[in-house]
Amino acid sequence: MMVENACTVGGLAAGAFQTGKMRRRQCRQRYMLTALLVILPAGLMAQARGGPPAPPKAPREAAPVDLTGYWVSVVTEDWRWRMVTPIRGDFAGVPLNPAARKIGEAWDPTKDEAAGEQCRAYGAPALMRIPGRVHITWQDDKTLKVETDAGTQTRLFHFNGKAPQGEKPSWQGYSAANWERPVRGEGLPLAGLGAVREGTRGRSLEVVTTGLRPGYLRKNGAPYSANTVVNEFYDLSKEPNGDTWFHVTTIVRDPQYLEEPFVTSTDFRKQPDAAGWAPSQCTAR
Amino acid sequence: MRALLYLHDTVQLQCEYAEMRKPLVLAICAAGFLAAQQPQNYDNVKVNILPVQGNVYMLIGAGGNTTLQVGKDGVLLVDTQYAPMAPKIMAAIRTLSEMPIKYIINTHMHGDHTGGNGALVKLGGGGGMPRIIANDHVLNRMTAPPANGQAAIPDSDWPNDEYFGNSKDFFFNNEAIVVYHMPNAHTDGDSIVFFRRSDVISTGDIFTPEHYPIIDLQRGGTVQGIIDALNRILDLTVPAKYQEGGTYVIPGHGRLCEEADVVEYRDMVTIIRDRIADLIKKGRTVEQVKAARPTLDYDTQYGATTGIWTTDMFVDAVYRNLSEKK
Amino acid sequence: MKSLLLAVGLLICTLPAFAQVDFSGEWAPLYHEDGPERLPGPELGDYTELPINDAARLRADSYDADRISVVPEYQCRPHGADYSMRGLGNLRISREYDEPTQKLVAFHTHLLAWDSERTIYMDGRPHPPDYADHTWQGFSTGVWEGNMLTITTTHLKTNYIRRNGVPRSDKATLIEHWYRHGDYLTVVTVITDPVFLTEPLVRSDNWFLDPGQAIGVFGCEYAPEVPRPTGTVPHHLPGTNPFLTEFANWYGLPPEATRGGAETLYPEYRTKMGKYNPPAKCERYCTCTTLFNCNVSTPK
Repeated sequence: MMVENACTVGGLAAGAFQTGKMRRRQCRQRYMLTALLVILPAGLMAQARGGPPAPPKAPREAAPVDLTGYWVSVVTEDWRWRMVTPIRGDFAGVPLNPAARKIGEAWDPTKDEAAGEQCRAYGAPALMRIPGRVHITWQDDKTLKVETDAGTQTRLFHFNGKAPQGEKPSWQGYSAANWERPVRGEGLPLAGLGAVREGTRGRSLEVVTTGLRPGYLRKNGAPYSANTVVNEFYDLSKEPNGDTWFHVTTIVRDPQYLEEPFVTSTDFRKQPDAAGWAPSQCTAR
Repeated sequence: MRALLYLHDTVQLQCEYAEMRKPLVLAICAAGFLAAQQPQNYDNVKVNILPVQGNVYMLIGAGGNTTLQVGKDGVLLVDTQYAPMAPKIMAAIRTLSEMPIKYIINTHMHGDHTGGNGALVKLGGGGGMPRIIANDHVLNRMTAPPANGQAAIPDSDWPNDEYFGNSKDFFFNNEAIVVYHMPNAHTDGDSIVFFRRSDVISTGDIFTPEHYPIIDLQRGGTVQGIIDALNRILDLTVPAKYQEGGTYVIPGHGRLCEEADVVEYRDMVTIIRDRIADLIKKGRTVEQVKAARPTLDYDTQYGATTGIWTTDMFVDAVYRNLSEKK
Repeated sequence: MKSLLLAVGLLICTLPAFAQVDFSGEWAPLYHEDGPERLPGPELGDYTELPINDAARLRADSYDADRISVVPEYQCRPHGADYSMRGLGNLRISREYDEPTQKLVAFHTHLLAWDSERTIYMDGRPHPPDYADHTWQGFSTGVWEGNMLTITTTHLKTNYIRRNGVPRSDKATLIEHWYRHGDYLTVVTVITDPVFLTEPLVRSDNWFLDPGQAIGVFGCEYAPEVPRPTGTVPHHLPGTNPFLTEFANWYGLPPEATRGGAETLYPEYRTKMGKYNPPAKCERYCTCTTLFNCNVSTPK
């Protein structure tokens, strides 16, 4: 449906009986009022309708999706690099640079065991790829806890958190989380004329992890360094057969050992209970 | 529903297989056949119209698919389903054309493809006598004295323009219509119909993408004949791009198809033939062949354990056909 | 002034609304998962990570790749919509709007491989009836779920789950979930096939935005190159395929694990799996992130 008003071409033609001066004044008024209304921030408009803005909800309350529960990884990708320890030197798919490849080919699980570093392959960049079960709960209103039975690891996702200064690097590092926000915010666009935003509320959990100890991207020693930053996005889907899944897209950036970001996506299906939950220790082999 | 509605001929098929086997099965077949003679309820059967290409449409109802071609010269049908469906088929035709039916082509003699001949001539012939075209084997079969206590096929359903030899062609509604005889395939009287300008082929029961091909051994059907016919269809089909579009194929039963779908079906029949032939060469009995499950990877898609044409019947037919002394 | 306000209100009400997420653009596939299977191609007898049944195994065991060269109708056979989204070629996504209403009507995808094109209708239209034609890309409709696009595709032609013979029937349906996070696109595919799968096959693949990408023409013309009698269908009779154990042998895997099946997808399978006896070092596809570095032999 086209809206005809005095300031469109059709309107101008239709209003030809008015004097030019009258029409120009009317058009100016209309454009100024429209511009004013369009550039008002959504919050101000809400204020104009009455009442101060509501305080932001706690992350737990604000959760657009429910990731809590028991989940099982279903290994439909990278089977021979996940269900078994990959062959020495098999780094297919991992964009390692030559230095990293050399380190990887020198992998020695005996050394890792002797040093008590059996958990090198269970760090945050690789943990979700290890076949196992995951238990997600809210530790408090601002912290999501992710436990894995493989390697008996715990990750904490701190909403709106910031890595504390001086914290010792660890296998799981420090994870700052938020419910993924759209690039340019919500409500009316702040710039431009003639558009609104629809459905900008995301459903994804975004997690950024730093503060990592060097470890392995795969159990056969494909290395990542302490400079690694991991971005993850957790997305939920419900299928027609009633199954609920979450899919985590993991982007590992390591300027020291990777030629480009290493991107994987891992799929977990929800379980009704803890059946199959089998905590195990890390293994170097 | 469709399975029930072509019980008329296929129960006859079952009985004929049974004759080779057990008297008890014969008795069950006879009872089944009598049941099939009872009037079926067609009230809830709808005729759906699917535009195919050019002048050609597919009518889906009871029995086999009907192909419809319309144009300034009149109406042409390939196969006519059952007599009680004729009013609904006629109503569907009338949404597309007010012209009289000038041609009916029957792909073979089974009742789910010829049963509506006479009724549609009466309803839609416009007072004239449409040509009912079929291979001469079809006329021979339809006019033969009935067996097993069955009723004779009414002469209004008989072809009146049978052809001999490999093919028959004519021009109608601005395109060449070529009727090819496919010897000893589903039966000995099979035809496929090629609408050359519309680029559509009606295959009759040589190609039935929802179940294994019925090989009517008693009426000259053979597994090699089915394979040869499918390969002949593939000679005629030309896809538009990357094995899609181009020539459309209307099967005897089932959804609208194209060349790639016929290839899948051809592969299936060929592979199963090869597997059973290999087992025959190794001296296996028909029961041993069935136990070996040579159709395992095709059963969910094409097979059945109950009904008018089961997997066992198909394997049985292929076995017997391949074992026949030449 | 009243009429002015009314006019402004009307104007705002008719302003075009953006769709939830813009997926349009040029997307290049990432091969950081299953690179060797997706790039040079799966090895014969590799049915790992697939919840297949015995029917699928027999069909795959019977498969002879000669079929692609000898049978002309197979030479230019494209991938289906599901297999296409494994990223076997670069992807372009574009949007189509209804001009008068500025409502999103459809997404369109164009894939390099076989110039495959798909329309994903966003206008709520129903899927065709069962008796309608099936195509390689099927018939797709999409709905928004927040920032996720969920696509349902039916009417797919018979195709394959893996191009070493593991089949996918024309009774299958495909559900996809598309997520965009910055310049990364994640496509989750859920294939439900009552003929060959015992449970839905759920996988996810990733793409990155590559605005400089220019997809060319694929080009395929079939030509009989190997004279064979009409109707030849290369296949292996049951129990005669000599290549089925190669994959297990090369990678030291227990043979039964390579036969696939739902049980083999779950973590507890590792405790029941037979003996794993890997070679001392990698000898096949040791690097594989692009088509150009995915070689059978280890690079020096």
